[in-house]
Amino acid sequence: MSASRRQILPGFGLSLACTLAYLSLLILLPLSGLAFRASHLSPAEFWAIATGERALASYRVTFGASLLAATVNAFFGLIVAWILVRYSFPGKRAIDALVDLPFALPTAVAGITLATLYADNGWIGRYLEPLGVKVAFTPFGIVVALTFIGLPFVVRTLQPVIEDIEPEVEEAAASLGASRWQTLIRVLFPAIFPALLTGFTLAFSRSVGEYGSVIFIAGNMPLISEITPLLIISKLEQYDVVGATALAMVMLVISFVMLLAVNALQWWAANRHSECSPSMGARR
Amino acid sequence: MSIEIRAIGKRFGNFVALEDINLHIPTGELVALLGPSGCGKTTLLRIIAGMETADVGQVLFAGEETAHVHARDRKVGFVFQHYALFRHMSVFENVAFGLRVKARKVRPAEAEIHSRVMALLKLVQLDWLADRYPSQLSGGQRQRIALARALAVEPRVLLLDEPFGALDTQVRKELRRWLRRLHDEMQISSVFVTHDQEEALEVADRVVVMKQGRIEQIGSPDEVYSSPATPFVYQFLGNVNVFHSRVHGAWAEVAAERREDVPESAVTAFVRPHDIEIEHHPLTGGLEATVQEVHAIGPWVRVELAHASELIEVELTRERATILALAKGQQVWLKPRQIRVFAAPGKTMEEGGSGI
Repeated sequence: MSASRRQILPGFGLSLACTLAYLSLLILLPLSGLAFRASHLSPAEFWAIATGERALASYRVTFGASLLAATVNAFFGLIVAWILVRYSFPGKRAIDALVDLPFALPTAVAGITLATLYADNGWIGRYLEPLGVKVAFTPFGIVVALTFIGLPFVVRTLQPVIEDIEPEVEEAAASLGASRWQTLIRVLFPAIFPALLTGFTLAFSRSVGEYGSVIFIAGNMPLISEITPLLIISKLEQYDVVGATALAMVMLVISFVMLLAVNALQWWAANRHSECSPSMGARR
Repeated sequence: MSIEIRAIGKRFGNFVALEDINLHIPTGELVALLGPSGCGKTTLLRIIAGMETADVGQVLFAGEETAHVHARDRKVGFVFQHYALFRHMSVFENVAFGLRVKARKVRPAEAEIHSRVMALLKLVQLDWLADRYPSQLSGGQRQRIALARALAVEPRVLLLDEPFGALDTQVRKELRRWLRRLHDEMQISSVFVTHDQEEALEVADRVVVMKQGRIEQIGSPDEVYSSPATPFVYQFLGNVNVFHSRVHGAWAEVAAERREDVPESAVTAFVRPHDIEIEHHPLTGGLEATVQEVHAIGPWVRVELAHASELIEVELTRERATILALAKGQQVWLKPRQIRVFAAPGKTMEEGGSGI
């Protein structure tokens, strides 16, 4: 009877226990503490805090800017990853290392640097000012900061996947009469898409929680350029712990739902190619 | 469609991949490019396909220069060693790809695409796999799908780069025969690259033996096997015993006698293992040797013999081996049935006599 349950790889029980304990300690415990704290509020109070004018505006800024930044990164990150994998050029290693910089740099440093650059008298800001483009201390500045933060997630997710695509596949497409564009759309993009989605999700999640780099460049004007994490901090500073947990709960739920949706999409994208779909041939 | 290759040369940095390659492939012929790895055979194939450009020389399809014709417009079917199937597409979609990417004006209707793809899948006997994905197929099945995909666009030329290299022996044999049949049915010119001499000899109408970017010999499988033009071809196509006149005076001398222009010492004789006869009694011009090992390998019996310090390999039929009843340490005499003599390395290649 034990033979039927025997696994080739040993240690499944122990490692699963470790995994569960670790995840509980790190993620579930703090989150349930958060939920517990928020449950001190009555539903009506909770709703009032969660849908306050400033709160609603901050959700819009946080999720809107994150979405925009992740989209920009998905596009340019794909190009960067492609260049780094497919071509060899002098300085390639340096550029490759540069991609990791946003990972390593303290976010506050990044925020201050970006704010200085894009300020009205900054190196870049002074040329944008006459054009009527204000970056620092506006929601646009938030997008810039979040784009900076998110780039490595997209590039590092895509690189191994692009490396995995044999150049022969492109040659095969060409020998079958496909143009470069057709090869890109029909052959390469479907292969890259699941990874692109993963990179997008990672960049997005990172952006939603970002605090350090944003507060320096955002200007933090209520209703305009105030992100939810900042609102939470300011509530904490006023000893409004319950109010802060209410906002945190809202962020948690929205993030969770979005991640779930993207994961489902990703699962679908990754699995439709490996599973047998009997109806397909008949349909065509 | 005929292919004409004129004075093709190609370098990668300092490495000479191809040098002065001239080859004519008439319509309907199946040609094998045979050679060790790094001999330039794949590069030549890729130049024909337009995936690589030659530094010098021309490739002509049916008499037309192709230098400015992009790979996608050459109407060339290309089959890769590792299949290069589109992983995210079903088998059906893989084969249909070439038809779907055609310009709208010439693209067949959906119903016609369906019937053509299914016909091709029937041709490769895999129509029951139409809905599967490449990851669900075996190597042999994948290669057949890759072939069906290449044939879908009705290529004028079929190019195969080590098509069976990644498959096991049994599947290889089957696919070889099947490729031959397919080629004959389709009436196209095919070129395939291989480093497997058996494969080349079995399938091809003509074999092009290459070495270090140059063509060593072009000929029918029988020609290249039974009358190799150079020592390299001799050694590459099957086993061979090499005799230097210094060591094997008697044999090499006999062969060299007919060639007054070559000094005896500069001669090397080549004899295939199955072209050597073993006798128990002394022979004139025979070579004395001692039996070292006797192995029965399938239909053959391989005998290793020692003459002085040199090893000689002989292959006998089972019947012959039974009659001889060879034992280790026995003293025997060897007589070549077929011998071919070349000038020793460094000298120009010489025609040799055959038989004694």
